[in-house]
Amino acid sequence: MSAQTHIVIIGSGSAGSEAALTIRRRDPECRITQITGSKLLFISRYELPRVFNGVSGWRELLAYPPEFYDKNRITVRRNSWVNRVDAKNKEVLLKHKEEISYDKLLVASGGGGYLPEGLREFRPLMNSFGSYEDAVKIREALPKKGHVIMLGGDMTGLDLARTLVGVGHRVTLVASEQLFWPHEVTDDQRVKFVTVLEDMGIKVELDKKVVAVKQGTKGKPARRVVFDDGGGIDGDAVMPFCGLMPSLDFMIGADVDIERGLLVNPELKTTNDSIWAVGDVCQIWSPEENNYLFYYGWHYIKEMGKIAAINMTGGKKTISTHKDDQLFINKKGEIDSPYWKHK
Amino acid sequence: MSNIEQPVYLEEKLEEIYDSGRLDYRSKSFPTWCPGCGYFSIVEGMTTAMNNLSIDPDETVVVSGIGCASRFPFFVNTYGFHTLHGRALPVATGIKVANEKLTVIAVGGDGDAFAIGGAHIPHAARRNVDMTYILFDNGIYGLTKGQTSPTSVLGFKTSTSPFENHDAPLNPLMMLLSYGAAWVGQAYAGHPHHLAKMIEQALAHRGFSYLHVLSPCVTFDKTTKTYKNLGMSVRELPEGHDTGDIMAAMAQARITDTLALGCYFKELRPTLGDGLSDITRRAQGKEKDNLRKHDKPKKSRTNSATKVPRRRAAV
Amino acid sequence: MARAQKKSTDIQIAICGSAGDGTIAAGDILKRAMAKAGYKVIAFDVYPPEIRGFGKCISRVRISSEQTYSLKPLSDVLISLDDSHAIPHVVEVRDFGAVIYEDTPVSMVPEGAHISGHLLLTHLPYGVPFRELSEQVTSSARSRNIAAVGYLAGLYGMPRDVFYGVISDKFSAKPASLTQINIQAFDAAFEVGRDTFRLDEGHLNPPPSNARNGDLMMMSGNGAIVRGCMDAGLDAFFGYPITPATTIMERLASELPVKGKTMLQTEDEISAISATIGAGYAGVRAATATSGPGFALMSEMMGLGAMAEVPAVIFVSQRGGPSTGMPTQTEQSDLNIAVFGSAGDSQRVVLAPTNVEGCYKCAGKAFEIAERYQTPVIVLLDLYLSNRYEAVELPAKNPFKENCSKPVGKLKKDQTYHRFEITKDFISPRAIPGDKGYRHVVTGLEHDEKGRPRDQTHQKMSQKRHEKLLSVPRLPNINMSKRFGDKGKVDVAIIGWGSTFGEILEAMIVARTEGIRCAAMKVVLLSPLPLEPINALLNDSREVLVPELNYEGQFANMLTGATGRSVTRLNRVPGTPMHVQDILDEIRRLAGKKPGKAKGRKRLAAE
Repeated sequence: MSAQTHIVIIGSGSAGSEAALTIRRRDPECRITQITGSKLLFISRYELPRVFNGVSGWRELLAYPPEFYDKNRITVRRNSWVNRVDAKNKEVLLKHKEEISYDKLLVASGGGGYLPEGLREFRPLMNSFGSYEDAVKIREALPKKGHVIMLGGDMTGLDLARTLVGVGHRVTLVASEQLFWPHEVTDDQRVKFVTVLEDMGIKVELDKKVVAVKQGTKGKPARRVVFDDGGGIDGDAVMPFCGLMPSLDFMIGADVDIERGLLVNPELKTTNDSIWAVGDVCQIWSPEENNYLFYYGWHYIKEMGKIAAINMTGGKKTISTHKDDQLFINKKGEIDSPYWKHK
Repeated sequence: MSNIEQPVYLEEKLEEIYDSGRLDYRSKSFPTWCPGCGYFSIVEGMTTAMNNLSIDPDETVVVSGIGCASRFPFFVNTYGFHTLHGRALPVATGIKVANEKLTVIAVGGDGDAFAIGGAHIPHAARRNVDMTYILFDNGIYGLTKGQTSPTSVLGFKTSTSPFENHDAPLNPLMMLLSYGAAWVGQAYAGHPHHLAKMIEQALAHRGFSYLHVLSPCVTFDKTTKTYKNLGMSVRELPEGHDTGDIMAAMAQARITDTLALGCYFKELRPTLGDGLSDITRRAQGKEKDNLRKHDKPKKSRTNSATKVPRRRAAV
Repeated sequence: MARAQKKSTDIQIAICGSAGDGTIAAGDILKRAMAKAGYKVIAFDVYPPEIRGFGKCISRVRISSEQTYSLKPLSDVLISLDDSHAIPHVVEVRDFGAVIYEDTPVSMVPEGAHISGHLLLTHLPYGVPFRELSEQVTSSARSRNIAAVGYLAGLYGMPRDVFYGVISDKFSAKPASLTQINIQAFDAAFEVGRDTFRLDEGHLNPPPSNARNGDLMMMSGNGAIVRGCMDAGLDAFFGYPITPATTIMERLASELPVKGKTMLQTEDEISAISATIGAGYAGVRAATATSGPGFALMSEMMGLGAMAEVPAVIFVSQRGGPSTGMPTQTEQSDLNIAVFGSAGDSQRVVLAPTNVEGCYKCAGKAFEIAERYQTPVIVLLDLYLSNRYEAVELPAKNPFKENCSKPVGKLKKDQTYHRFEITKDFISPRAIPGDKGYRHVVTGLEHDEKGRPRDQTHQKMSQKRHEKLLSVPRLPNINMSKRFGDKGKVDVAIIGWGSTFGEILEAMIVARTEGIRCAAMKVVLLSPLPLEPINALLNDSREVLVPELNYEGQFANMLTGATGRSVTRLNRVPGTPMHVQDILDEIRRLAGKKPGKAKGRKRLAAE
């Protein structure tokens, strides 16, 4: 590849970072630019619970130190939001009105926390958990022996839940259909795993439908979650964990096919010849299932980054579309997931 | 100018001089000028004028630059400041600003004024500093022994123009008139009585008065501006010359083959001191406005509302 | 962030924009507000040489709880009001410091033109829609700079109220609606800043409780000169515009007439010094201010002042030279001309304050010295000192004496007044024009005691002019020199003058924490040198370091010439203040320590 080749990666998460590093290894000459909305360099979502375990600053959580990017000549454009991708002119248009041209584009923008429609109006009263800032905010919102009400129950949430319980907080999980997402569990397994959760100290409310999140009344904790049966529970914070939704608004009109995620072939190329996509933002064609599927989990995501990078730099490799990740119970008798083993 | 042709009797003259009291204005220093120098008559004219006007010598400063003419302060009995070449006017301006009550007289030669000091004249004139500037023009550098000056005539041979001077001489009267000098006149050292009257007028004028005094250099110029040549070229201003008419003054100043003596132009307009008083009034008025606006008094060390220069009484 | 816990504050903010962005005004509001809030503040603005157009302006403000002595080479926060100017300064932000910038430019920018693409990975980016915020509140983008200050204040939790007062003062001459609009813009941005999650490591803790709210005044070096002049009762000022001295003249033009005194703009520097000498001769307190090129023009008249024994005060704010040099860059290269520059030889009085408070003291004292010793006194500043702001506390009582002239005695009958009488202290009683019976002529010619021109007296009168100044180093109520740091024997002594002494002191403080025995001395009186304390320090020191912002080592030469002691020179002429690190490295080297690990970052002297 010529020295002028500019590879732009939207997203600086696991997939994007792995792709950037692989591209650099395969092509010492090209320009690599990562664009991220985050103010910080990449911090893994799965590292965030450490904020409750004595981590006092974001520097300890960085996946790679700043020197890593300098050494590998990877430019990271932080605090930069992509408004639109102009596939015809091969340009990424940033919110701050800068135009960045690319030769090849990798979309690794991941997903944001999904919120069922009925809960969206209550977003200002809820704490999310997507970034370091979010993590510190929830830490600071909780008094000693605080009470967190979790809605949904996806695997990120359960990871945090076990951490919170471990540091002396109380967690009540108002489970929804996203319980254990993205793992798929049978009804039997579900009952078993819920029992394990209860044993781990997490109170689980099944079959409750949340209709409102309110500010707590005076003298009571800061939040109140109201159920459709008129009852409710009080807590210091409410956190939704209802799975992820691909972040791809900016790709609309970019000459790529979209279903729920960006549609890619097993080589991770989209329907545009210069654009690839990896991670939580893409749906990969699975010949086995004859369908486009999402693949989650750190291991998959890293693999995707690597394979896209190979294909973008003249190689040819397809991703295994076989899924084998399962929720299980570990030696300590706690639930565990391959997603949590990311190191 | 007819009086100079009358016979003069020494005894009568001396008596007249002693009686007049003008010798009080002469210092005890013996002038360093060459015998026959035209500048002697300027000293006499000055002392006569000051005496006639009863100017307090303790309240007078004569400021000069460098040159034969600039030795002048040593020969009058006032306060004097013999400064640097070309800088008499700005020093004099500083003195006048410091103490408006002083009579300030600047003196200098043609090189001092129009060569090295040329930049200062327009500004003293336009500011209308209330002082008198007496310019001794002999068209040569005498103190350095005879070099070409800005008023040397074309063709003049000197030690620095051995192949004749090719630089056209300045016309100082035209310059001063266009600079806005409030009083412009010309006199000739060979006509001492008229010279004294002109000095008197210039001193009496409120504002910047400029008196151009034509004088020979008897030592280094034997050919151009001699008593003989100057005496033949001087004339009176035409009868009925209007000293309020700047165009008439310029018309006369432009004639250089003959040289008109007298007051070319005069006008009364606000002096630098008037301007400074006005600035003070405005500033203090503005200060009062500000006081009203902020409704809090500002600290002030002096309560004086008028411009009172800091003075120290002599013990 | 563990460092958040410590109670002291030391944060430096740099605001960079284009002329017309209100950069300097923003810095001004910030520094005044912080001084009001009780912090120690040092600030320095850099202006473009061009008047209009798109020249670069930078305002740097260091806010601290403890007294500091200079700006830090690396700022904690950079605010960009114009990316094209600010981009080269990004490297002057420390690791884990913040860069705050406009997130809503008016039009599209090409790749690389936005500052967000130039941050080091150790910097924290804060993109803020300043323009939109300003437009939303004020329907114009003109309050962008105030919005930037508001955001900063919100982000670091600065007390909001003090800003209201400072903004009101700033716009007091304008319609009240403008104050309102700007406060609204400030407020809107303050809230955005307050709600922003802060990730950088700059901290602003509440000011120490013993800080006296409001008593500290924010003042520039030139502003302090003006205060000193006014308190000393300056009667007449003559000046000609020249960067960086012009602001002295501009301020005096407003302030002197209020007291019934005079500011006159002359036709050139020669006239300015001439009129100053004239006014001084006439008995009033007179001064002028200039910079190198103008000072060169003044040097002949300086000689007349010495010869004719006329008091005058000359403020010289140095800039890069020779010739027109670098009009908007700082330097300390006019020491030679200040001490020696004129025809012939004569002792001079040259004072060089090292900080803003010193500017005030030296300005006032200069008039006393000029009057007492009947000679011109030069106060040597530089662009960095003239334009930098510090929170200073001025004495409640005017510290300057009114009339220091040696009075004339009563003359006996037939006794004539000898203007240049040689007395025991070589200072002659001085009469001024208007004094009855003391008429005399003063001259630039060598003269006798009466003032009459005479060459034969040259030896005697040269001695008089020299000897009369020898008591200047012992004048009370002013530090002509001062030693800091370790007492007794030291490994390294750092001797400095002028604005660079701030950096010297900072470097010495760090060196001492590293266990190096060292002392620093500021020399305020540069002529005649206070040799007694200087020699005492030299005798205590194994190594002597002289850092100064000139290439030739002008002060080092003077020191060596006067003491015979060879010194180590540290000469830099970047146009900007000396880096503390450079001085520190040299101290370590001289102390025999390995040089400190240099920061892995190249320094840009971009302005």
